[in-house]
Amino acid sequence: RRRARARSGARPCGLRELEVSVSELGLGYTSDETVLFRYCAGACEAAVRIYDLGLRRLRQRRRVRKERVRAHPCCRPTAYEDEVSFLDVHSRYHTLQELSARECACV
Amino acid sequence: ASIFSGTGADPVVSAKSNHCLDAAKACNLNDNCKKLRSSYISICNREISSTERCNRRKCHKALRQFFDRVPSEYTYRMLFCSCQDQACAERRRQTILPSCSYEDKEKPNCLDLRTLCRIDHLCRSRLADFHANCRASYRTLTSCPADNYQACLGSYAGMIGFDMTPNYVDSSPTGIVVSPWCNCRGSGNQEEECEKFLRDFTENPCLRNAIQAFGNGTDVNMSPKG
Repeated sequence: RRRARARSGARPCGLRELEVSVSELGLGYTSDETVLFRYCAGACEAAVRIYDLGLRRLRQRRRVRKERVRAHPCCRPTAYEDEVSFLDVHSRYHTLQELSARECACV
Repeated sequence: ASIFSGTGADPVVSAKSNHCLDAAKACNLNDNCKKLRSSYISICNREISSTERCNRRKCHKALRQFFDRVPSEYTYRMLFCSCQDQACAERRRQTILPSCSYEDKEKPNCLDLRTLCRIDHLCRSRLADFHANCRASYRTLTSCPADNYQACLGSYAGMIGFDMTPNYVDSSPTGIVVSPWCNCRGSGNQEEECEKFLRDFTENPCLRNAIQAFGNGTDVNMSPKG
């Protein structure tokens, strides 16, 4: 994680997309249909808040240690795609809700 | 065989490709097409109860919205894709979710179905468009009026989501037969008229050539020549 952080010019957090077959997703559906899978990825260094800095210090001083705390923003979807449908190899249709990300943010 | 046989793709390549699957992919990669396709699929696929397969009225409405609001480059491609095998042809038949939008417990008489269609002014005008634009002609090369395939295909697609919704009758890859969900049993003395009406769908060289030419990609520039 340290190395990734040090790497300069890492792309900031945002939407990425990938064309994948439904079968590739490993969700238990067998279909050759291709869907556009959008996900969130990228750096969140710019989004570090005073909150994170304070929490880090308190964690170092072992003032906070009972639970897992995350003193670092995380690139995650803040909105998801409504739905996507496909026909499987048994000629049955399926609809998946919230398969893809629609918006991303460092939260 | 159509007058366009001979322009087919390389058989080695086409044996592996599934044009109907490619068409679904193209739709899924376009946000508008994906959204409206997904919308009609989820509505038409939603079971109401053990006795009611789906809400047919809502399914038809969603299908009409799909064909009205998505450009024909996506919708025709899904509806009229060419097939070499049964898996592809079954996918083509399933495009409109026929178990909800097409099939029914009983097959009505085609003339009764036509009467029902004519009560709805939109269904009535779409059916009239179909009869005009897909009318088999013996004076043109393609069997279509003014050799206009696009107009015939558009009129066919325009009936989907109405009482006269047509579909592929089976998953035969090349022996294409389309029909509304009706037959001519119980026509009485109107048997001949009923058969004539039904043949506009089932045995129509204009419609057949238009669908085949679209699938082969040979329909380009087949609209009226100056």
